[in-house]
Amino acid sequence: MQNPFEGAKGFAVTLGQIFRKPITQQYPEYKRPVYPRFRGRHRLHRHENGLEKCVGCSLCAAACPSDCIRVVAAENSPGNRVSPGERYARIYEINLSRCIFCGYCELACPFDAITLGNEFELSEYSRDDLIYTKDMLLRPPTKTMPVADRDLYDTPDPVWKRES
Amino acid sequence: MSAPPEQVTITIDDRSVSVPKGTGLVESALQAGIEIPVFCYEPRLGPPLGACRMCLVEIEGLPKLQAACTLSAQDGMVVRTSATSAQAADGQEGVLEFILLNHPLDCPDCDKGGECPLQDLTLRYGPGTSRMVVQKRTFDKPIPISPLIALDRERCILCYRCTRFSEQVAEDGQLVALNRGASSIIATFEDEPYRAHFSGNVIDLCPVGALTSTVYRFRARPWEIQNVPTVCAMCPVGCNVWATTREGKVARVLARNHPEVDGGWLCDKGRFAHDHLRAADRLTEPIRRIRMRGLVAVPWEEALDAADEGLRAAGASVCVAFSGGETVEQADALSRLVRQGLGADVALLPDDPDPALDAFRAPLAAIRSANVCLVVGDEPVLERAPIVDLWLRAARRGGAEVVTVGPAGAIAAPPGSAAAICAALAASSPPEELRELARDLREADRVALVWSGDDDTGGRHLAGLAAALELGEGSGAYFLPRTPNGRGVAQAWRAAGDGRGIDPSGDEALGALIVSGDEALRDTRVVALADRARFVLTTAMFMNEAAGQSHVILPGTGYLERDGTVVNLEGRSQRLRRTVEPPGWDELAFFAQLARRFGVDVDPWTRAGVDELAALPARSGTAPVVAAPAARGPQRAAGAGGDFELVRYRALFSGAAVERVPQLAFQRPAAEVELPGGDASRLHIATGERVVLRSGEVSRELAARVNRRLAPGVARVAEEHADGLADSVRIEKA
Ligand code: SF4
Ligand code: SF4
Ligand code: SF4
Ligand code: SF4
Ligand code: FES
Repeated sequence: MQNPFEGAKGFAVTLGQIFRKPITQQYPEYKRPVYPRFRGRHRLHRHENGLEKCVGCSLCAAACPSDCIRVVAAENSPGNRVSPGERYARIYEINLSRCIFCGYCELACPFDAITLGNEFELSEYSRDDLIYTKDMLLRPPTKTMPVADRDLYDTPDPVWKRES
Repeated sequence: MSAPPEQVTITIDDRSVSVPKGTGLVESALQAGIEIPVFCYEPRLGPPLGACRMCLVEIEGLPKLQAACTLSAQDGMVVRTSATSAQAADGQEGVLEFILLNHPLDCPDCDKGGECPLQDLTLRYGPGTSRMVVQKRTFDKPIPISPLIALDRERCILCYRCTRFSEQVAEDGQLVALNRGASSIIATFEDEPYRAHFSGNVIDLCPVGALTSTVYRFRARPWEIQNVPTVCAMCPVGCNVWATTREGKVARVLARNHPEVDGGWLCDKGRFAHDHLRAADRLTEPIRRIRMRGLVAVPWEEALDAADEGLRAAGASVCVAFSGGETVEQADALSRLVRQGLGADVALLPDDPDPALDAFRAPLAAIRSANVCLVVGDEPVLERAPIVDLWLRAARRGGAEVVTVGPAGAIAAPPGSAAAICAALAASSPPEELRELARDLREADRVALVWSGDDDTGGRHLAGLAAALELGEGSGAYFLPRTPNGRGVAQAWRAAGDGRGIDPSGDEALGALIVSGDEALRDTRVVALADRARFVLTTAMFMNEAAGQSHVILPGTGYLERDGTVVNLEGRSQRLRRTVEPPGWDELAFFAQLARRFGVDVDPWTRAGVDELAALPARSGTAPVVAAPAARGPQRAAGAGGDFELVRYRALFSGAAVERVPQLAFQRPAAEVELPGGDASRLHIATGERVVLRSGEVSRELAARVNRRLAPGVARVAEEHADGLADSVRIEKA
């Protein structure tokens, strides 16, 4: 080190930071709002009349690049009507330990039955617990995540929407 | 033989292709590497119908677009498909818009989605959007037209493939189109269930999701499945199939067209019976009879020890009863264990076809081009080898003379007389009623002979007739075995030793009996043998039948769980591929291990068995095989009181597998007895009336069905309803 002031300059920068307000966020006490289009844990939706929107068509499973959706369909019967139409998902599972949250399933679904929500706190002690069943996905999320103001962050309507 | 057809050259989309004259435009285009999209066109269904107009092309010199499927190539024709002709593209787009006008487009619900020609062609040739703004036509859906098939009339595009199949291929005429124009619908006649041996083929044929299988319904999507090419081992035809699996289970069976064997058709047994693999009473663990405790599940090694011990105690007094459904490799392992390891030499073979007929081997497809077809034997071909019946029907449609001689034949003959008929036809001066037939047979270019009966010597008699007729190229003679691989099993048994001939028909005690498979367990002869055996080793898929007298029961495998070779009725060796894993060891592994303990090295993983079979030793004169029941005596005239000669047949829809598929229950033979028209009216019995069949002490009450094609004095009953009845019965009104 030729110039002793060079070192002092460095310390000065550090010293300056000490009196700044810290930018560290105290998670989990403080949860930073996620972007409105954040892709978190999936949810399955119901129609207003209570029937499931999902018909068990497996298109989401076909679209999924990490092959983590498993759908086993069955037939609705008058005594057991689960979805409109003939078919419903008897088993619907997403293995969230494999999911890469790409949102292709949401894009593939012809009925908007599956969407990616904004929940991101998905740690579990066991991998098995990361397999979300249909009941878990249909239930409203227990945790609510703060979402940033749509007007501030959301992108404007996409081109294809504006032009049609 | 006719001269090779003349070649014509046509131009399709600026490519020129030369094809034999008379080739359809669709095939010609395919030869040039150009696809003309089709919905209704299916050459296997007879002449083209031109119903859907999907195949529109522009043909130079013709003012309007033409349906390519209805035209054949003419020399110098210039054809433009939608790839090069805007007019054709526009036409096809219009056709698709019309087809989709009333189509529900409920693809996410629809079982065809993902493998649907309508989806595919709409994507490639159709309009992007619909202009339809009013309500689409709706129907109730799904309508079960039988317990196996669901019909969705909304999705139907009226291509008439299904009705054409029903009318022109299976000739059952049950599926029809009702009404006209926009209100045309597909329906079964009088809304009766579609009950026919080949009904499932309409599911394969339907280009949309209008006809779907209730067994496969919603089980899988095309991207979630694996298709395994294998062979159906449910009857001796050996149709080639795709077995579709999802998540390690067989979900459906589809035809895999082998033009020489099945022509792309399957019977409903092969198509729908696969669910027996998952029956509730399926055995998955070995079971051993333990004193005071009864039948107890034990580990495989313990079962192996128990089998070893039991067989060692029996010495050479061992008999093995085959089902005829085993693969050649399984039969080979078991035969070598018994013949080489134990030194025993007795087998109950379900079939033992005479190899004499091999000289007249021909592919089944040869039947279709025969000029004269002769069917002899007591059993209906349809029940024994269903696809053969389709080939015979195709031959008849093609103008061939198809003659059945037997108890239900066009030429009536008493039961058990097939051998005599063959001899009579081969003789230089046949009796009066056969004279015309004999002349036709001799004069015909190509002849197909079919033996459909239980007599194993049938092959020899048929071969005698074939030799007398000097059958040449293009002709064939076929013996229909009783069981799927009866022929391969018999060959494997023969190849494993030289046979010293011990007849198990005595009544002394037997050291050990090995029962291989569920079908063998149902054989009354096997049950009788088991009574005499000190040790019974059984392999069986299902518990309730195996329990009886066995000491060790091994869980058996179904044909979809086996890897191996089966030999069909033509003598064609075909490969079975393992489609799904069996629940435990398979029989081959078990018997190979057991054989090793007796010093015989059976390597289950080579195809040695098959190679040895290729060099099959000639059949020895002292075949150590229980003879098939002797042919019956001459027919007695029906007595005034109603004495009948009883003909039993094994219904196609019978057996352990079919019984375990609830959807097939309606296909099983009804509890009825068929009576000839003359005798029925003499006894004042009408169809549907209850009658009692008596022989000795045994009596059975069945419904009567008048069958005018039965020979007088003959009554016909499915085997499962004829339990205990003797060959001649007295029939009276109940
Ligand atoms: S977000 Fe992507 S990876 Fe996750 S389930 Fe959906 S498609 Fe699969
Ligand atoms: S979530 Fe949507 S795409 Fe997935 S099975 Fe259900 S309906 Fe089909
Ligand atoms: S038939 Fe084809 S196009 Fe029609 S609903 Fe089914 S998958 Fe879709
Ligand atoms: S049911 Fe299927 S095969 Fe039959 S006419 Fe309709 S679309 Fe064609
Ligand atoms: S395929 Fe030619 S009209 Fe249907």
